[in-house]
Amino acid sequence: MESQLFSAASLSALLAIVLIDLVLAGDNALVIGLAARNLPRQAQRKVIFWGTFVAIAVRAFMAILVVYILALPGFMLAGAIALVWIARKLLTPEPDAASNQPAVVPAASFAVALRTIVIADAIMGIDNVLGIGGVAAGSILLIVLGLAISVPIIVWGSHLVIRLVDRFPSIILLGGAVLGWTAYSMIAREPLLAPWLADHTAAKLVIAILVFSIALAPWYSARLSEDRKPLVVLLPALLVWLLGFEVAAGIWNIEVRYLRAAQTGEYLFQAARWLGWLPLAVAFL
Amino acid sequence: MLLIHRSPRAANAVQTVSPSGEMFVASVVIFMILASFADAIDPAVFGEAVPPEFGLFDFGDEFSVLGMCHWNLLQFVTAGSLLSGAVFILRVGGSRAYKVLRSASRRAIDKVPI
Repeated sequence: MESQLFSAASLSALLAIVLIDLVLAGDNALVIGLAARNLPRQAQRKVIFWGTFVAIAVRAFMAILVVYILALPGFMLAGAIALVWIARKLLTPEPDAASNQPAVVPAASFAVALRTIVIADAIMGIDNVLGIGGVAAGSILLIVLGLAISVPIIVWGSHLVIRLVDRFPSIILLGGAVLGWTAYSMIAREPLLAPWLADHTAAKLVIAILVFSIALAPWYSARLSEDRKPLVVLLPALLVWLLGFEVAAGIWNIEVRYLRAAQTGEYLFQAARWLGWLPLAVAFL
Repeated sequence: MLLIHRSPRAANAVQTVSPSGEMFVASVVIFMILASFADAIDPAVFGEAVPPEFGLFDFGDEFSVLGMCHWNLLQFVTAGSLLSGAVFILRVGGSRAYKVLRSASRRAIDKVPI
């Protein structure tokens, strides 16, 4: 057990959990501060302590729940699609983000403040627990360890986290890449797709590049000139086109490897697969 | 509100990232895609229980790719650091070599008359 925990794979998963937790962390300290600001000083200390404790407990409970939900067929794929969207949102520039304060009403009592903190944390942590649930691949121990490391850093060391990402914005890009990689791993592990993917090995490559091309689009589109911006749509569309032919070949039992095509129908299928997207691309441009 | 959004630089990471940081993450992404290539390989192809760490793989007689099997995040980060470091050294070394090899202007003060 101990040797498994300190294996490179487990330490990597732990690193990914902490990274996802940090880049997707909600501003817990600000929420706790806003909820408790109208309370007496003594009650404020109690709210800060119990608010932090309950935030960790709620996050751990939600993450464990996500692990069980992801084990159901179909949910891994749905979670992966959601993670791609989360990665995109993380990388999309938000110039006015600092001025957006969370709408938290100051509480009049300890119980109300605690309830506000729990609800705010549950809402802010949905994307977070989905990411760490996907990385943990069913290991509750990894989730608990990851949260035990990252949540105290977020709550008590938020200034440290802000200074770190301010000095090294590449951490955010790395977080987006790790979310993309997690989304791809979740699709590859999806029980409904596993038999099909085992028969269509090339589809895995297409899916991996498709996931990264959508998740990291805000990053590479910022580097493209205006006349090359359509690539942001064309590249994923081309990959979906190729994937569609893999699916069609499976349904109609057609040979998709061009070197093994033997009949006229198969050659036509290959021609449509490799060249059929060109007129559509021209029409789009 | 995300915690990182309290930093304007982090909220606009795609625009404020340094070239070296960007090169590092791009290298990590390249290794992730290469790992997904090898992920699609059946170990039985090699006749071994455990496939090699990396190698050239052939996909359905169509094309060959370089891929790494079962790499984890620590390996991605290490390989990404090494690749981006190598590219940085090549870039700096290349630009210095180019400066040395480029002939000085005719009117430059340090032009040696031959």
